[in-house]
This record gives sequence, structure tokens and C-alpha cells, in this order.
Amino acid sequence: MATTTSRETSDIKMMRRDTLGTLGLGTVLDVFRNGRLPADPAELVSSVFGPAGDRGALVISGASGIVGAGKMMQLGARLEPFGVPIVGLDMPGAPDGISRQYPGLVRAFGKDGADRILGNMVRLTYDGKSLPDQLKPLRPKFLLEAIPEILEIKRAHYEMFRASYPDIQIRSVTSGFPASQLGVGIAHPAFPHEINKVFEVVEDEPSDVTKLFWALGLVPVPVSDDWSFVLDVLFCGITLAAVRYHRMTNTPVWKIDKYVRKHIGPNPVRAHDAIGAKGATFLTWSCLHHLAGEYGPLFEPTPEFVQHKDSGQDWYPPNHFRPVVDFPFDDDDEAEFLDWILGPLVQMTSLMLKEERAHLGLMNAMGELCAQFRRGILAMIRDLGTTRAIATVERYHKHHPEAAKGDSWYPAALERISDPEWQQLYVNAEHDGKVGVVTISRESYNGDVDAELNRAIDWLKAEKIDRVILTSDFHLSTQMVGADTNEFFPALDSEEEGARIAGDWSRTARRLDAEFAVSVGFVPGKRCLGGYLELMTHCHYLVTLDDTSLGFPEVTLPVVPGMEGCHWPFRKTNADGWMKLLQLLLTGRPVSGANATGWLVDFAGPMEEALEVAWSIASGSDHRIAKRELVREIVPCVTDAMPELPPAGSPATQGARAAIVATVRDACSVNLADSLDVQTRHAAGFLRSDLCRKGRVGDERSRTLI
Amino acid sequence: MKEIAMFPQARIPYGTWGSSFFPAWQQSALAEVNIGQFAGEAMGRILGQRRVPKSELDYLVIGSTIPWHWKFWNAPLVASCLGERVPGYHLEQACATGLQAVVAAGAEVESGGHETVGVLTFDRTSDSPVGVFPERRSYQRTVPIADVWDNFGFDPATGNAMIQTAGIAARKYKIDRREVDELTLHRTEQYFGAIESGFLDRVLFPLDVLNVQGKPLGRVDSDLGVRPLTLDGLRAMRELDTCVTGGTQTHASDGMACLLVTTEARAKELSPRPEIDIRFLAKTEIRTDPSLMPEAPAIAVQKLLQKTGLGMSDVAVVKNHNPFAVNDAVFAKVLNYDWRDMNRTGCSLVWGHPQGPTLTRILIEAFEEAVDLGGGRVLVFGCAAGDVGIAALFEVSEGGKR
Repeated sequence: MATTTSRETSDIKMMRRDTLGTLGLGTVLDVFRNGRLPADPAELVSSVFGPAGDRGALVISGASGIVGAGKMMQLGARLEPFGVPIVGLDMPGAPDGISRQYPGLVRAFGKDGADRILGNMVRLTYDGKSLPDQLKPLRPKFLLEAIPEILEIKRAHYEMFRASYPDIQIRSVTSGFPASQLGVGIAHPAFPHEINKVFEVVEDEPSDVTKLFWALGLVPVPVSDDWSFVLDVLFCGITLAAVRYHRMTNTPVWKIDKYVRKHIGPNPVRAHDAIGAKGATFLTWSCLHHLAGEYGPLFEPTPEFVQHKDSGQDWYPPNHFRPVVDFPFDDDDEAEFLDWILGPLVQMTSLMLKEERAHLGLMNAMGELCAQFRRGILAMIRDLGTTRAIATVERYHKHHPEAAKGDSWYPAALERISDPEWQQLYVNAEHDGKVGVVTISRESYNGDVDAELNRAIDWLKAEKIDRVILTSDFHLSTQMVGADTNEFFPALDSEEEGARIAGDWSRTARRLDAEFAVSVGFVPGKRCLGGYLELMTHCHYLVTLDDTSLGFPEVTLPVVPGMEGCHWPFRKTNADGWMKLLQLLLTGRPVSGANATGWLVDFAGPMEEALEVAWSIASGSDHRIAKRELVREIVPCVTDAMPELPPAGSPATQGARAAIVATVRDACSVNLADSLDVQTRHAAGFLRSDLCRKGRVGDERSRTLI
Repeated sequence: MKEIAMFPQARIPYGTWGSSFFPAWQQSALAEVNIGQFAGEAMGRILGQRRVPKSELDYLVIGSTIPWHWKFWNAPLVASCLGERVPGYHLEQACATGLQAVVAAGAEVESGGHETVGVLTFDRTSDSPVGVFPERRSYQRTVPIADVWDNFGFDPATGNAMIQTAGIAARKYKIDRREVDELTLHRTEQYFGAIESGFLDRVLFPLDVLNVQGKPLGRVDSDLGVRPLTLDGLRAMRELDTCVTGGTQTHASDGMACLLVTTEARAKELSPRPEIDIRFLAKTEIRTDPSLMPEAPAIAVQKLLQKTGLGMSDVAVVKNHNPFAVNDAVFAKVLNYDWRDMNRTGCSLVWGHPQGPTLTRILIEAFEEAVDLGGGRVLVFGCAAGDVGIAALFEVSEGGKR
């Protein structure tokens, strides 16, 4: 095994089981204690593909399809620097899905980079029965199979490879078949395949392939070996619920999509057309068909699925037949609709819980990361509570009695809501008796994260831990993009609501300053923006990587930062720093960790150095980082001098700049105790303004909430 | 009395029907849409409101009279707009379309060809298309025509306009203008009474029309163009032909109406009130002398009664399509029937005439009225282009007493 060994972890106490451990990569606290990441990509590449200078190839079969071509790009870009040849294998005459990726590659890596990545790819065709001789010199080491979802064809495909390359590691991208059916491991990726980093993986123990995926910046998610795993139970399930509602009420799918989007997040039916109706409908039908065979009528695809699967027809009407009759819902309609949609989702989730298909934090995240759920299914159920969740399913069964038949409803599984695993879906805490680490696995901050962060802090306090590192989970969250603007929708109509959000979140952030002797914000990813940066700046120290991108993009939405970004960082720097902070706030342009050191960041460096510094600070070792003290009194004249700014470009930006400057001025002109109210009032007031309501948040709301 | 049953196997399931409002020509969002598409989607909406999944349909008979874009694709296209890919065909018989389509659906069920047949009639008189038809023998190489206005203005078989047939009939039957004005006022009062009582809420569905961006274009929630009349106002109106004024004739409008025809067993499953049984009894058509269209329905009813051995006293609900008030006055004379006793919930004289769906809405209103009465026979009739009269009898079981 090429994984870097972790130190003994038995001394670590966790609020709940962490997710990094599900990959066999230890704990986040270990990452800091060891001062390095738990897996090294170069070592793992050598383990999977052979040593440098003698690498075997990655073969992706079905390479011209949507999944195959996407993975050719994603894995090809990551493995090219290690000299791993990438072989794309497909049938002659398969539509060329690979060349279509070139513009995207150029956008991501520049022309030279794109040419280099594609130059490392070998495209071969085969007849489906025998492998081409040209494959031999490339010595395939790892096959990612992305051929059609037909069991017999897949099995024969593996046999063909094993006959020629007995030691080859094989993973199927299947969205539905368990490994026990296929006889190979699973690496089921999520759409859009070029950029979505998530793979559901099925294997007895975390393999070097899975660890390599993690080390390459991808997000492997271990799931149990059950039909359709987690993602496609959710995605196919919500699509089925939508189409079943369509079948029973005649409400057109476009309208149902709007209401699903309003209440859950995705447009599940439209997604099929966007992906490509023919292939996507077949996959959904296939998952549902097999799930129905295993678990009963809850999953039975409706005749519409059969019709669309057979014909490949789009679900939405063509452009020249854009709908002319609306299907408005009244309150009763909407309540019944929710039973039809949430009922089956809750029931399907009860099945996944009963089967323990995944760590709850991972199960919850799948909907958000891969199926456009605004909140994970478990977070939604947690909000409903056990009684209401069960009642929702029971009402659904009245509408659709067939769903109650079969082996698919486990209400008892919903009674675990109070378990720590369910209570801490997004935030975990662990400690070694001296230092605590709080990890956040959600890339945007919302009410769930806020509540869980408070519980995590409470837990650490109860454990008598007063030194803490706040960071990401090193697994699901690869960046911290700021506040989830969906949370602002109610605040567009209610200043009170805006003040509640800004006030609550700011009070949570202040706990990092007030309730710990030492708190360290550590940003391990690509970026930390907006609300997350405001949160992190409340820590006594902020440590990032050299190239971490830090910024306040609020002005571009526009909104006024609501978690004290308009005064808290000003209280920790001098007049030079004020100018830079104003630049950040008023342009929305980010700054790198290296360039922000001294006035926003306390240390920035390469990963291992940054980890070591963060741990040194948190553990009280010698760290040589001077603490930037927080001025708790009035900070006068902060806005007397203004940086040179590029033209605002729009009245919205102009207005937002003025509002931010006013907020900085007013919040810095009072002491720390009073500043929270001042900041909150400004932020909430701006959320109610026309500029904000007509901006991106308002736009998003009108597109989301109908 | 002999057993009367035109289609013994066919039933119209109570309460699975509905109609749009019929806004007058150019007054609503309906003037802006493809009426075939609108009708299909509206039927899906109405059936949804009635809790009938569209998947129950296995056939669709559509009826319309005015060309619409893509009408070549016929009932299958409209069915696609409804959201259910079933076969079907288009039927057209001018103003008799709305009744003829229901009878045709009954025949489909009776023949065993299909179990549940949707009837969907619609028309958009607004912006009726202007067609250019090459005519080899015409003195003009091409003749542009406005479908609605040109046809109403000229019967190629007789050379007369529709309105002239009303004048000719009024003169033949010596109809008094004063009676026609009173009759018209009464019809208007019947209509507004039906609105006030909430009766029409069981028939008509408000429908929200969207523009091409998916934004609201308008809500069709009234028979726009209908206004209360006074006797003085009616009497003051200029006579356009004998007994015909702007007030005593209908107006062009847009709309759709739909219902289902199915077997007895399926009707019980589909209807919210399975105890109500609606059967087809008889139907007939006649063609009267040239340019006497308004007397044609009366003669058709005479023939129907003769054929069935029934009298007007055997009928509980009498309702007709009356583009001219003269129609009702003639009917009263020919059948010796008090015109006050018919069209008790309104009629096309008042709420307008979109052609295809007119008699379908009339039929739906008649069934609802019969249910209010606790059942009985329903007589529905009307005139159609070419001096044609159509009449049909249905029976509503007495189980439906409200």
C-alpha cells in the first residue's frame, strides 16, 4: 500500500465518524499532526500504473460516450503529468465525443496544456469481441469501463480484458449494477463528467485506485454494493416521482420540474434532455427497472419511461411547441405535490439507511454534489423530523398504494435522526485531548452548517478543548465558496429575516474568537470566499496555501457582506491593510494567500509547511507567527482614504460599493460589541433593496421559487 | 314505449368534462396562440383538475372548423400536446361539429374499437387564417379568403349569407321582432343567472395562457364580450335583416371544450359520481330548403321525436345552439314549445360561438342541468352551415339528484 502512514489514531475522540476515514486515509486531525496529506499521488500512480518511466496505461472503454469522454478529460488531465498513457477505446463509427472536449480543455488548461493532454491520449477502436494488438505495448494496468449498461455485454468485456491482461484492475462506471453482479469494482461518476469530481466507489477495502483518485483531487465516496448505490436511487427516484406525478395529474413535466426545483433543487426531467434524452432515459429506466425487481413497485418505471427509453424522445416539447397553458398550483395542490415527491424520496432514503449504503454525511452530500439538491436528503428529513417524515410517506401511500408493497419501507430507519451522524451531516469535530479540529464538508455556508458548527463548538467546549483548528473535511469540500445565497431569498422581502441570518451567523463566527484560547482557520483548498472568509477571519489566526484564492465577491451579486467582513478584518490590520481590504470588498477581485499575508492572512505557504504552522499554532508549539490583535474599540477614519478602483460598470455595483463603504465606515466607528448590530442592519437593509432584489440573488430567487 | 339506445355500450362519465370560457373575437390571450396546441394542453389541465389521468385515453376525436397551423397533423398532434400519444382523427361539420364529435366517439366505443375516447373540440375565430387557393376555373387565378368572415358572408350553394337565412326564416314563420327582442333579453338573464348561481363553475375552467417565454399572457376566465342587455337597448338596435340585430345574433369567439366517452364499467371508475349514468339515445340530421338554416334544427327535432316515439314533454332539458334568436322563435312555433323552458343556463346566442366547441359546451351544460333536476332526457340540437339541422337525445340517470 502506498498510502503515507498515519500516526496512531486511537487517542482521537470524534463527534461522529469522519468521512476521510472511510477512504482509509485516517483523520483530519492526523493530517495536521503528521504535517502532510495522507496520500501521495506520485506513489499511488506508481502503485497503480507502475514506476516512473515504465508506466502502464489507463484504458477507458466506451471512451466516445458522454461518460467515457468526460472521464478521458478528467483523468487524462490529472495523469498526464505523471506520464500515464491514456487509451480511449470504442467501437468504429462511435460518434466522436473526445474531440468535442477540446474547447473545454483549452479553457481550463490553455492551448498548450490542452494539446499536451490530448497528445498523451491514444484512441483505438475494436470490434467488441477482441482487443486490438496496438493495446499490448501500452500495457493496460487499469480499465475504466464505460460501455452500455447491459450486464452480459459488460461481463464479456471484462473477460476479454482479463484474458489478455490478467492483472488489470477494472472499475465499472455503471450507475446501477452492483459489483456482485458485474464481478468488478465500481467507480460510478456523476454528471457533468468532465468536471464533477465525485465517484461512488464499491470495494471491500479502500484500494490504491480510490486513494489515487483522492490524491488527484477527486472525491471518491464509498458506498455499499447495492443496486444503484446512493446517487441513482436519489436521482432516478426523484425523476420517477416527478413523472409519476405527471402521470397521475396530467401536469406537464416542465411545470413539475419548476416545483421540484422550488422545493428540492433539481429539474430532474429537464436534466435528462440536457444530458441527452436517449442515453439518460435508458440509464434511469435501467436503474428503476432493476430496483423494482429487487425492492418492488416503489421503483417501478411508469409507461412514460418505457416509451421514452424506446424512442429516445426528449421529455420537453420542442421549441416550436413551447407550452401555452399554465398549470398553476394552489396551496392544496402544492401540499399534495410535495407528498408525491418527498414521500417516495423519504421512503427510498429509509431503504438506503436500512441497508447502510453510506456514511450519512456522504449519503446526504450525494444529492447536493451530484443531483442539484439544494439541501441533502438527510438534512431535509432532519428538518421534517421523524414523525412528519413518516406521515409524508404514509400520505404518499394513500395516493399511490402500490408503493407500500414490496420490501422498501423502513420507518424505523428514520428514528435515528438524533444520532450524532445525522445531527452532524456537514460539520464534524475531533480532538486529541488538547487540540480540536472542526471540519466543514459543505462548500457553501448555510443554516445547516451554522447550526452544526454551533453544536461542534458546544461539543468541544464540553470536552474542555480550548484550542481549535477550523478547516474543511479534506474530502467532500475542496473549496469554500461562501454563503449559500439560497438562504437569502426570504431576506429579500423581510429585513427582519436578513438581520436574523446575518446576526446568527456572525454570532457563530464570534464564538471562534471568544470561546477558544487559540483558534486557527486553515484553508487547504483552492479558494475561500465571501461568508467563509468572514468566518475564517474570526479565528485568531488564518493560515492558507500560497495560491489559495481569497476574496469578497459580494459586491458582484450585489450584497453587503453580512458576517462582519466590513469591520472584523479591519480591526486586525493597519491603514495599509485597510486599503487592501477595501480593494477586495469593492472590486470583488480575489487575492492569493501569499499576497494577503500580513493584513488578512497570518501565514501562507506550501501544503506541508502550512499544515505544520497551523498545528504549531494550535498545539502551542513554537510557531513564530505574530498574532494580529483585534482592536475592540472604535477604529476611526477607516474610509477616509479610498483605493483606486476600476469603473463600477453598472449602477448595481456602484450602489453596492456605496453601501459597503457606508457599512465599513459605520461598523468601524463603533466598538466591537456594537458593531455586530451595525453590520447586520446594513447587510439586511441592502438585501431588501431594489439593487439586490434585481441582482443575481433576486434573479435566482425568481427562477427558483416560481 | 320502445327501447331507445343508439349506443347501448357507450357512456359519458359524469364530471370528467370541461370547457374553457369563450372570450369574444380578438379579446383575449386565445387570439395569440395555436388553438390546437392550446386545446390539447387545456384538455390535459381539465382532466387533471377532474382527476382523470390522461393515460386513461386510448383514442381522441377532435373537432374544429377553422384551419390552424399544423392541422395536417390532426388528432395525433393534439394528443401529443395533451401529453398522451394516442391515435385519433379530426372531424368537422361546421357548427354541428361539437355534437357530431361526441356521437362519433360514442360510435368508436360502441364498435369496440376503443374503450375510452376523448372528445376535444376547439376553434379560434380570432385571426382566422387567410388562405389563397388556386382555382383553375376561377376568373381570378388565386382567391384570397378570410376563413370565418368570407364563409359566414357567402354560402357558395345558395349565394346567401348566414344572416340572410335568419331573415328569410323569420319572414317565413312571421316572427315578430318584439318577441325576438324579449327572447334575447330572457336568454341573457338565463346566462347571468347561471353565472350567479355558480352553475357554470361546474362547466367552465379558467385557463392561464403563457407567452413564448413562459410568462403569463393572460387568464381566460370569462366569456369576454358578453354584456347585460335591456329591452329598450335591444329594441333600439338597427335591424340588419328581418328580426336580426347586433343583439339578437351571436358573436364570434374562441375556445375549447372536452368530454370523455367510454364503457359503462369505465365510466363508473372515472366519474366522481359513478351513480350517474349518461347514455346515448338517438341522433338525427336533416337538410332543409335553401337559405332556411334556422328552421333546420326544429325539423331535425321533429324527426328525432318521431323516430323515438317521444314528445317534448318527455324531455327534461332542452338546449340548443342558436346563432340567431330567430332559431328559438321558429323552434317554439314548430314544436309548440315555450322558449322560456329551454336554454335555462345560457346558450351560444349569448356567450358566443367559436364554432367547433359550441355544441360540446352546450351538451356539458345540459348534462349538468339534468343532474340538477335529478335526471331525465336531454335534447340538444342546432343548425349548421348548408341549412343543416342536427339533434340528439341523451338520458341522464336519476341517481344524480343534488
